[in-house]
Parts: sequence; C-alpha cells; structure tokens
Amino acid sequence: MRKRKTIKTSIAGLCLLAFITGAAYAQKAPKDKFVFGPLNPIKMPKVERAELPNGIKLFLVEDPEYPTIDLWAMVKAGSVFEPADKTGLASLTGSVLRTGGTQSKTGDQIDKELETLAATVETGIGQTAGNIRVSVLKEDLDKALAILADILTNPAFREDKLNLAKIQQKTMISRRNDDIGSITDREFSGLMYGKDSPYARQTEYATIDAITRQDLVDFYGAYFHPNNTYMAVWGDFKSGDMIAKLKAALGPWKKGKPSTLPWPKVNYEFRSTVNYVEKPDVNQSNIMLGHIGGLMNNPDLPALNIMNQILSFERMFKRIRTDEGLAYSVWGDYGASYIYPGVFSCGAQTKSQSTVYAIDIMLQELKKITEQEVSDEELEKAKDGYLNSYVFNFESKSQIVNRLMSLAYFGYPLDFTEKQKAGVEKVTKADVLRVARKYIQPGKVQILVVGKKEDFDKPLSSLGQVNVIDIAIPAPKK
Amino acid sequence: MLRKKLFFRPAFVPALLVLLSLALGGQSFEGIKKQVKTHVLPNGMKLIVLERHDVPVVSFHVYADVGSANESYGITGISHILEHMAFKGTTTVGTKDFAAESKVLEELDDVYAQMKREESKAAPDQAKVAELKAKFQDIEKKAKDYVVNNEYFDMMMRQGDAGVNAYTSSDATQYINYLPSNRLEFWMAMTSDRFLNPVFREFYKERDVIMEERRLGVETQPTGKLMEDFMAVAFKAHPYHHEVIGHMSDLQSIRRQDVADYFKKFYGPSNLTVAVVGDVKADEAFPLADLYFSRIPSGPKPEPVRTKEPEQWGERRVTVSAKSQPFLFLGYHIPDAKSKDSPALEALANIVGRGRSSRLYQNLVKDKKIAIQASCMSGFPGDKFPNLIVFIAVSAQGKTSAECQAAIEEEIEKIKKESVTEEELTKFKRSTIKGLLGQMKSNTQMAAMLAYADVVLGGYEKVFDQIADYRAITAEDVKRVANQYLVKTNRTIGEIIPEK
Repeated sequence: MRKRKTIKTSIAGLCLLAFITGAAYAQKAPKDKFVFGPLNPIKMPKVERAELPNGIKLFLVEDPEYPTIDLWAMVKAGSVFEPADKTGLASLTGSVLRTGGTQSKTGDQIDKELETLAATVETGIGQTAGNIRVSVLKEDLDKALAILADILTNPAFREDKLNLAKIQQKTMISRRNDDIGSITDREFSGLMYGKDSPYARQTEYATIDAITRQDLVDFYGAYFHPNNTYMAVWGDFKSGDMIAKLKAALGPWKKGKPSTLPWPKVNYEFRSTVNYVEKPDVNQSNIMLGHIGGLMNNPDLPALNIMNQILSFERMFKRIRTDEGLAYSVWGDYGASYIYPGVFSCGAQTKSQSTVYAIDIMLQELKKITEQEVSDEELEKAKDGYLNSYVFNFESKSQIVNRLMSLAYFGYPLDFTEKQKAGVEKVTKADVLRVARKYIQPGKVQILVVGKKEDFDKPLSSLGQVNVIDIAIPAPKK
Repeated sequence: MLRKKLFFRPAFVPALLVLLSLALGGQSFEGIKKQVKTHVLPNGMKLIVLERHDVPVVSFHVYADVGSANESYGITGISHILEHMAFKGTTTVGTKDFAAESKVLEELDDVYAQMKREESKAAPDQAKVAELKAKFQDIEKKAKDYVVNNEYFDMMMRQGDAGVNAYTSSDATQYINYLPSNRLEFWMAMTSDRFLNPVFREFYKERDVIMEERRLGVETQPTGKLMEDFMAVAFKAHPYHHEVIGHMSDLQSIRRQDVADYFKKFYGPSNLTVAVVGDVKADEAFPLADLYFSRIPSGPKPEPVRTKEPEQWGERRVTVSAKSQPFLFLGYHIPDAKSKDSPALEALANIVGRGRSSRLYQNLVKDKKIAIQASCMSGFPGDKFPNLIVFIAVSAQGKTSAECQAAIEEEIEKIKKESVTEEELTKFKRSTIKGLLGQMKSNTQMAAMLAYADVVLGGYEKVFDQIADYRAITAEDVKRVANQYLVKTNRTIGEIIPEK
C-alpha cells in the first residue's frame, strides 16, 4: 500500500495537479505541487535458506549483475564472554585466527595468495559475534573457499603474529586519549554499563600481557563451530551450486558444542550524575548525557523510532544547531540493541564557552518531549519520512540477505523490518508522548563533559556535584 | 552538510576497468558505457543518466566545479559555507513571507557592516559597538520570525530522501539526494529552485555552526592540526595551501554579500554537472531538466585558478606539538589526474602502501614492528590540480617517526632501483577492478564516478576509455615515476611531536 501525498512546495509557476507517470515529457510548465504516482514495485529477491550437514545455517541470494561473490558469517561468540583479566582475548583470537595462518601456510603466505587474487578472507570477534568475511571474483571462488576452510579447520595461531597483534593492541591503548571523541564515547559507555562491565570494559597493558597462545586456541575451540554459524552469501552463482560448493569446502569443519550464550545482564540504576574529564588542550567541549536504553524486541520500538526522529531533528538539531548555532553535530536518540540494552543519549560538541548553556537546552528539550504531545506536523513529517524511505531497506540484495542473517543470529523474527513498518503506520501523538514518558527520565540523566573547565560559561557544579574521571593510562609493567 | 571527501577514489576507476575485461572474459564495459546518456541544456548545464530498473530508487549527484582551491585570501572556507547555505532554502522554501524577510535581511547586513567598521577602527567606540551588537541581535530575531526552520530538509526527508547531504572538497562541491524513483520531477523542481532562487538566510548563525565544525575537525584533533599545517607548507602558492574548512578569522569575517558574489561567479549552469542513476528513464529526465533547469540563465564558465605551485627548492618540514602520540606524513608533489603519469603513480601508491602484502605494511608493521599502520595514497588533497603522493605512518608504542621515515625511505629507494615486480603489478590491476565492481553496484557511487570523470578527467567516457592507459603500465613506468617524483627536494615532512 502506498499513500498518495500532496506536499506544499510553492515553487513559482503553475499549480498543476496532473497525475504524472511517464507523460511528463508532454508537460509545458514547471509545477509547484506534486501528487506522486505509484512507485514501481519492489522486486524482492529470493532468499534461499539451507542448513549444511555440519550445522551451518545458510542464507543465499543470487545476484548475477557483477561477477563477484561475497560471504558474511556470524559465529556465536563475543568479547563479552572473555575473562575480565584477559580483556582483549576475543579480539586477538579473531585477528590471529587469520594472520596466524594454518598448519600448512603462514598468514603472510595467505595474505599474498589472496591479494594476488584480489580476494579477501577476514575474521574477527566483536562484542556479541564472531565474524567471517569473504569477497572474491567469481572465478576465484574455489581458491578462496579452500583458504577459508583451511583457516577454520587448521588454524595455527602462530606466536609471532600473536606478538604482533599484542603490539598493535598496546599501541592502541597508548593512543586512546589522543582523540576527544573516542574518550567521550568510551567514558560514557562506562557510565552506562559500569566500567568493569563486559559491555564497556577496556583493554589494558596488563590484560593484554596476560593472554597466551593457548588462551586463543581455547577461546576459538569453545565457540567456532559450524553449528554455531550463520552464513549469508550473495553474488553471481546458482544457489544449488553454491550449497554444493560450501558443503564440499566446509564439510571438514566438524560440529562442536553449541554455544548457549548467556548474555551478561545489565543492572542499571537510574541516577543523576555530572562527570568531567579534563582535556586542557581543546577549545570545544564534547558533551553526552543520557541513561540506559532498551532492546529492539520492545513492542514500543516503532513509536520510539518516531520519537527519536522528532527529538533528534525537530528538537535538538533545529534548536541547538540551526537556531542557536551551538554545534555542528547534535543528536538525541533512544538506542535499542538486539540482545542487551542500548543507550539513550543526547550529545553535541560546542565551544567551551557555551558548554553549560548547551546542556541546559538539551535538558529542556528532554523535559518538553516527556511533558507535551508533539505537533501534528512533527508526527506527520517523521512518519512520512520513515515510510517514504522504507524502500531503501531493499536497495541491494546484500543488504537484504545480511539483515535476514543477523535477525536469525539474534533470534529475531525474520519479518522484523516489515513489522516495524506496520507499527510505524499506526503511531499517534499519544503514543509518542507515552513512550517518551515511559522510557526517558529527564530528571535522572548522567552528564559527561570532556573539555577545558577554565573556559566554561558556568561551572559544571551548577548542574550538580561533579565527579572527575581520571583517564590516565595505567603504565605497562616493566 | 558534511565537510568531507568521498570515501572512494574516482581516480582509480580507469585501472579497475582494465582488468575487468581480462577477468570477465567476454563481458565488456562497452555495454555499460553505451547505456549512459547525456544531455546538455542550452544554458550549458550537463546531465548524465544511467538507467537501472532493479529497485524503484534513484540517486542524484550535482557536481559544482568549485571547491576551496577557487578561494583566495580573506574568503577561505567560503565554498563550504556556500554548501551549507544551499540548505537554507529559496525565495519560496524556508520562508513565511520573502518580500518582508528580504528587507530585514538587508537591514541585518547593514548593521553588521556598521559594527565591523566600528570594530576595525584604531580606537573603536566600545559603547557604539555594544549598541550595534544589541541592535544586530534584535534584527536577527526579527528575521528569524520569517523563517520556516529547515524547510528544505523537511521537504526532502518527508519525501523519503535517505541521503540528503553535500560535500565540499578542495576541488568540488557535491550535492546528493536519494529518492524513491517516482519523485524524479519533485527533485527537478526542488533542485532547480535551489540554484535559481537561493536565499542565504540564517547566515550568521550558520557561520557559528561552521566554526564549531572547524573546532571539531581541526582544532581539537592533533591529526587535523597536522593536516592543515602540512598542506600549508607543502603548497606555498597554490590554494591547496588552505584547508577546505577555511581559517577561523575568515569564517568570522565573511559576509553574506561575499557568499552571494561567490555563488554568482561559480554556480552558473555551465559549471554544474548532474548525474542521475537509478529507476528513471532518460527520455523523461531530459525534458524535465529542460523544463526546470533551463530557467537558470546562462553565464560564462568561471576563469580557471591562476596560481600554479612553483617548483620546490628544497625539503620542507613542519611539526605540530600536541598531547598525542607521534604521527608522520611524507608528501611529494605529483601532477594532476589528467597527467600521463597518473596511472603509474596510482600503481606505485597501491603497491607500496595498500593491503597486508604491501611493501610498507610488510616492512614497517610485520617485519620491523615499528608501526601499526603504514600506507600510501596519491591525489591528496584533490587531483584536479597537481597534488601530493603521501606516505603515512602511525608508529608502534615506544617507536619513533624517525624510525618509520627511515624504513619508508628504504622502500622508496628499492623501487627507484629495482621497480616493482610483475606479480605486484598484476595484483594492483586485479584489486583495482574488484574495487570498481564494488563501487559500480551502488547507484550513489556510480553517479559520483560519472560526474567526477566528466568534469575532472574531461568526459564520463574516460571512466571506460582510460583502460588502455592502465593496461599499458609497466614496471619500468613505475620505476621512472618513482625516480622523477620521489626526490628529497620535492618533499614535505609533517610530524606530530608529542607534548608532555
């Protein structure tokens, strides 16, 4: 179903309300009002699903336009499962899996072989998933799959590449306070989840030093099994042939213990705090404020999405950026994640001299959205924008198949996107106010400012008692 | 509204295609090339259309052939300011009553000019300045009453525009929209209006936003500071000398009239190229373009940039002292994208500095373990004019930029003596094709490539036709360009020196 909409444009010229589809060239004068004809239908590509005998769950889409083949797999693993005193283990396992080579080939040999083919095979482990990515010209598929299978079944985790990865990790630790934006993200995450939480903790020299090659072997062995793997493949192939090829190539990857993935709980206590990180060499403050957010399976998510659009654009952007000229980038967003609560945050970067002024405006806007209904126009604009741009969820075959695979990985219904749309169509002003009241607590936000307090317009203490966060990097052991 | 460069490097495009035909057997790019249709309006504006009917969406790319390289002292940053102002509406979009609004806007400019005049006196009358400032703020509020806040954005987003944005670089200003494909005529109406009847309202507040953007991207970022100073030293005469964002004092001083003059000079239809890729028909798009865009009066193509970067007389070095770990840039002057040496320089940059098996990664990261990142790119900061090939190193903990520089020089000397291997050349050609295939899948990137090639390389066909130049690259070419350009007297070194 597609709504026909008239919009005001008032561009000088005639006012024609002709129904235009294809007869446009007969037109004699520019228009200033538009009625849109029906959009050509979205041709949904066929997504083939299959499960290999070793348990890999496949999602395939044929896309013959270009002679390439891509693959993305998610493996049930994640840094949230690494021990706190070995923070960084998941990341090191994911990278050395690839760089450390296999029993028969070093990682360097694999690099050379792949780059000569213009192919990539990469592995990694993030917070809530292991990842495998392959991209290859069609003609080189067999070679790339053979390399992938070798990596998955015979990883060598060579010590020299572990040491190299450790150097890279430690260098990143040494550089983590160079950029004000990453300080802000990191410390805000610590305030939301707790700085020792698996969702926010940081690598330190000591946690990297504590990791051994055996830890990598064990971590890999615990999670990387075909029956823990969801795999999306798209490109120039016939699905039947591809299934056969994957079965042959990845057959030797043997089943293991299924991961149960007991995602760590987030225990958030709503409270108001004011937090400050000293950055004496900047002339602009980085501000974030908010509290814990929610999950994507929340039935209120469609209304929250509409509220986010109104809060971020109609309120924060239009006031803080456009009216006040206080910031280039500004937002207000109730974040929702697949399997652990996201973060509700507002943020902006503003010159030191307008720091508290900008925070005051953000707090006013938060209060306002929980106290008054949004206007009809705000609601209509947000809903129209969502529904009219909905087609971009289906712009490419890779996007469609990757989304389905991720939904399956996290145990979400595969028609999640379609349901969100149906939900958005029904959202009312009362819904927006209801979810704003239910999920946003303007009186209980945690405020973080990274900047140079000597130059602030008002002391941060005017907002509450200030907690100073020390970001000094614990020194490496000699 | 973002000030950033496009992610992909259109200059690679031709090379990609070379191999495509190799890799793809019978398949040829002649097929795609033939599908591209063009149309030049009587006023000089050019349209390039590629039909793709898979999904009912369309990407629009307006390429204005003007960037920060067209700016002179006193107005640095104005191309980017104008990019922002293009979102502020027209005589009918963004206003409740333009006739009344325009009078207030003039009044505002007038008071602003008086205030600046007083401030610039040897002994300004502070009371008078304060009085004018109060008056300015009053009128600014009055002007605001006529504004419909962000109406252009509202209208585009409401119609489903999933990518309404713009980018300013040293070479160009580019405006992007993605819409459901039944909004073709709506786009024509909105966009032609933008170039026909622009109104630079909310100017002074937007300048403040841009100053925040400068603080965000340059002044609070050690690498941003280094980049700015590095360019300033590498280019002593050519306007690649200054950053796209402009100098703070210029941002504080540029007037609304400056923007109007700049618009008049550089935004005529002869300086605009539009690429449209998606589910539209060329034989519908061209008449609509005639109908809407022909309303824009024609004007002369602006005079090209006069200043050329003269020959460098010796090695230059610049440092930024910052609370940061070390960072190293080494830049050598090279010719523009149209030069016959460009393909070989691309190959050189790729083989030396891209990927895990590249020479720099192998030497600095894997073997010597003195860096965690070591790479090389050409076309910096743009490629319409002679530019730089830049080597970048991020040193490992406890290692220095000096060690990284020595290792980079070692690799450069090797190429000057022995060149690259056939295997490396093949790798370059294949990876370049593969990269192009990835870009071609996206309507947005395809539109960007067609517009770029048409303006900078002299014809959208170059995307396809330069294949021959790339096919011809030999190891001897790479060696020759390395010896010609990678010499000490032609280079600038930029470093972040950690401050305690």
